[in-house]
Amino acid sequence: MEFIYYFGEVFTPLSFLLLLGGTIGGLILGATPGLSPTMAVALLIPFTFQLEAAQGLILLGAAYTSTVAGGAVSAILLKIPGAPANIATTLDGHTMAKQGQGARALQLSFLASAVGGVFGVLLLIFLTPVLAKWALAFGPSHLFWLAILGVTVIGTLDSPSVVKGLLSGCIGLWLATIGFDDIMGAQRFIFHPALGGGINIIAALIGLFAIPQVLTMFAKGRHNKGAEVIEVQRHSILAAIRELTSRTRALGIGTLTGSIIGLIPGVGGQIAGLVAYDQTKKFSAEKDKFGTGHSEGVIAAESANNAMVGPSLVPLLTLSIPGSPTAAVLLGGLLIHGIFPGSDLFDNHPDVAWTFINSMLIGQVLMCIFGLYVAGLAARVAQVPQSVMAAIVLALSVFGAYSVQGSMGDVYVMACLGISMFFLERFGFSAAPLVLGLILGPIAEANFIQGGMIADATVGKASYFLTGGLNLLLIAVVLASVAYSVWMELLHRRYTTKEEAQA
Amino acid sequence: MKRMIAGIALALMSLTGPVVAEEFPERPIMMMVSYGAGGATDFQARIVTMTSGNEDALGMPIAIINKPGAGGRVGWNWFATQAEADGYTLAAYNVPHFIAQSIKGGVEYSTDSFEPIANWGADPAVFVVGADSQFNSMEDVVAYAKENPGKLTVSGAGLFVGHHIAALQIDKAAGTKMAYIPTKGGGAAAMKAVIAGEVMGGINNLSDAFRAQEAGNVKILGVADLERSSFLPDIPTMMEQGLDVDNSSVNFRGVMVPKGTPQDVIDKLAATVPEMFANDRVTKKMKAGGSPMHIMTRDEVKEMWAQRQQTLNELLAGL
Amino acid sequence: MNRSQHIIGSGVVFAVGLWVTWVSYTQQPAEAFLFPRLIASVFVVLAGWTFGKAVMGLSKVGNGMTRTMFINMMPGLIVTLIYVFWAAKSLGFYTATAITFFALLSIYDPASHSEAKTWVKRGVITAIFVTVMYGLFAMLLNVYTPREILF
Repeated sequence: MEFIYYFGEVFTPLSFLLLLGGTIGGLILGATPGLSPTMAVALLIPFTFQLEAAQGLILLGAAYTSTVAGGAVSAILLKIPGAPANIATTLDGHTMAKQGQGARALQLSFLASAVGGVFGVLLLIFLTPVLAKWALAFGPSHLFWLAILGVTVIGTLDSPSVVKGLLSGCIGLWLATIGFDDIMGAQRFIFHPALGGGINIIAALIGLFAIPQVLTMFAKGRHNKGAEVIEVQRHSILAAIRELTSRTRALGIGTLTGSIIGLIPGVGGQIAGLVAYDQTKKFSAEKDKFGTGHSEGVIAAESANNAMVGPSLVPLLTLSIPGSPTAAVLLGGLLIHGIFPGSDLFDNHPDVAWTFINSMLIGQVLMCIFGLYVAGLAARVAQVPQSVMAAIVLALSVFGAYSVQGSMGDVYVMACLGISMFFLERFGFSAAPLVLGLILGPIAEANFIQGGMIADATVGKASYFLTGGLNLLLIAVVLASVAYSVWMELLHRRYTTKEEAQA
Repeated sequence: MKRMIAGIALALMSLTGPVVAEEFPERPIMMMVSYGAGGATDFQARIVTMTSGNEDALGMPIAIINKPGAGGRVGWNWFATQAEADGYTLAAYNVPHFIAQSIKGGVEYSTDSFEPIANWGADPAVFVVGADSQFNSMEDVVAYAKENPGKLTVSGAGLFVGHHIAALQIDKAAGTKMAYIPTKGGGAAAMKAVIAGEVMGGINNLSDAFRAQEAGNVKILGVADLERSSFLPDIPTMMEQGLDVDNSSVNFRGVMVPKGTPQDVIDKLAATVPEMFANDRVTKKMKAGGSPMHIMTRDEVKEMWAQRQQTLNELLAGL
Repeated sequence: MNRSQHIIGSGVVFAVGLWVTWVSYTQQPAEAFLFPRLIASVFVVLAGWTFGKAVMGLSKVGNGMTRTMFINMMPGLIVTLIYVFWAAKSLGFYTATAITFFALLSIYDPASHSEAKTWVKRGVITAIFVTVMYGLFAMLLNVYTPREILF
């Protein structure tokens, strides 16, 4: 209960101002395509040089929480996921916005983010010592199986055909191998110098989601005025709260999945949203509505990616091991003030530690209030005429892809992937499984090779990967996931053939 | 009219024309770090460049851009082949990493591709084991490695980086064969493998290991340098423990530009940058973060590069 | 019509799959290509399956492209390609963005081309947008984008 004692610190004028600034700034940075939470926090580090340690961390903590939520804004309104965490949000969120329900989607996403986020931070406050052990329990073999678990999701994720979904996933897995192989350092598939650094995931995300949409708008051609003006529906905040409370299953699955996955170092928040989305879909009574602008999809994805924020800091704060790239940047923010995370942090600088954690808690609430306030206004983006919208999204994609690493190569890769994806989508392939492959490929490969090397030096591959409680548990989940997909596919097939026979 | 166009053209040319040293720099500078945001190199690069906007330094801010991947190869390859040699594109170097990688091949750079500007830090490699490990000195480690050839797993940040060089040197000095496990995700991931007990030991940066030891997570058994570190006065060097391991694996970090950068720009940078590193605020922040500083001028760095090239050529020849 | 389009689409994917498989099994060092081989094998089988189905006319999902869509899209796609692969770098990001933005509005904006008001409106929207982009990326985020002409 120590944290309550330090709440006062957050509410001193300067701290609160920083908190407010960090939250609003974070929302804007998060909503900017190409700026992942990691980069947004890294951009803010120089500002903390001038501040006291606790105040600097208030700024960083608030920014971290709100950039993750801010990514949902561009995901919903523009179909440009700000970070891998927001991919799942685009699937239903953007469809809702196109139907004129952008306000509802944004309100739900901010509310779900706040619920997930507060839960995650509370986990960080109360269960840190227990969770730290958990985080360390995941070695290479477990991370490998976890990545495979993600692969099993590929076929069923937002794809009309299982074979084409799997094939899209394979294309993604292959794209991920382009560039220098991370462990051996060998060059693979570098057929153009722009690919020398491999395919940057953020640039790829922008291309795969935003560009097909731009081209689709082009393909509609010059409309006559008034042919397709979307009516943006107003949506009251109360109604959003009521809806959220009725969708407890999506909220619960999202929050829990996000917390658990966020805890695991190395996997982090990248796949939390997608896994939560998939799980919610599997357990939902309205499976068929997913992908067509269903609110459960948005709630699950956003509660998951914010729930991961708190637990993702557990390994950093207790063991001084940054579990995610953003945590690594936060570590830098602590170090420049001479504070070492770990026992030193909580014993000798409890004011810094707890003020930081409290600021994330209050930051979640502020982020939610501010987000709800602008949701109605922001949703009007859907009313922007198609011609203007296409041009805006195209320019934002180019700037976003460039600013990731300051490289034209990323812009070229973004455009090529985007244009190819547009044509692939016309033939029933889809972007979500492709991106999942792109994210999971490196995790699976690196852990397989690293685990294999450890295994060869010690117990041998078979017993390293196939024995031990956690390995067996994960394998069982993988098998269950595959069996479920196959069963659903067969069921679906029988159902559709019957329907066809009737017709 | 014609005159006006000519005037505009002239004005444009003076804007985009060749850089003159007196005016350099007239816009913000970019510095490429070939490791991820939050890693030791990135973190230190951000601190040492934080005062570059001051009037007594370069007068223009330096923005850090990360191009991580494959132990630094991605970033340095980009820098050698695609970066513009105009003085506005700097990069952080890590020696012995990039030299060892260029000797092993498969990359498009070598010491000849770059012009050093100045060195800011020297971070020795140290041998760490988990806090509850059976090993208490390098002697224990070597004894175990001799009894169980190829079975002692040791983590490090990648192949042919400083950590790997140190492991190779230990193997060579003691006549052992350890199983070196390169991790993806840099020193932090390698450290996590040690703390979590996935591997029996590890080689890591002194600055990171110092922090992990303060947190009570690891024991540091030896420093791969010629002298003991001021951060760890109680930890003996490898030499003191009877292992003939010199300072070849010490991770020198500094700033360089691509070959072909105008000489006057190089001179200007070489004169200003070391002073910028020596700034009070910089040294204070570096010390607070547990990062050992070691400022060297352009000429000293040139000499150090040449020397490393030679020792690494010998060490890696047998592999 | 639709069937031949599916054959082309899945044919290209299949060709890429074959190329990836060939590269994976011929390049050295073998250890570094272990994982790509695994992926490529699955890739090529699935791509072959899809191609086969397309040839037999059994592809069910995906609507392909109609002639109108294609004709509508072409000018925009060409402007996009010029923007991304040439103008952004050679003219500078902000100049190229302003030109592209204005060009796309002119092509796709349904308002009448013969009224002067329309052109003023397009110009104003372009100016506002480029100013916002400059404020966000150049001033706030300090991203240094290529600048050749003007800014």
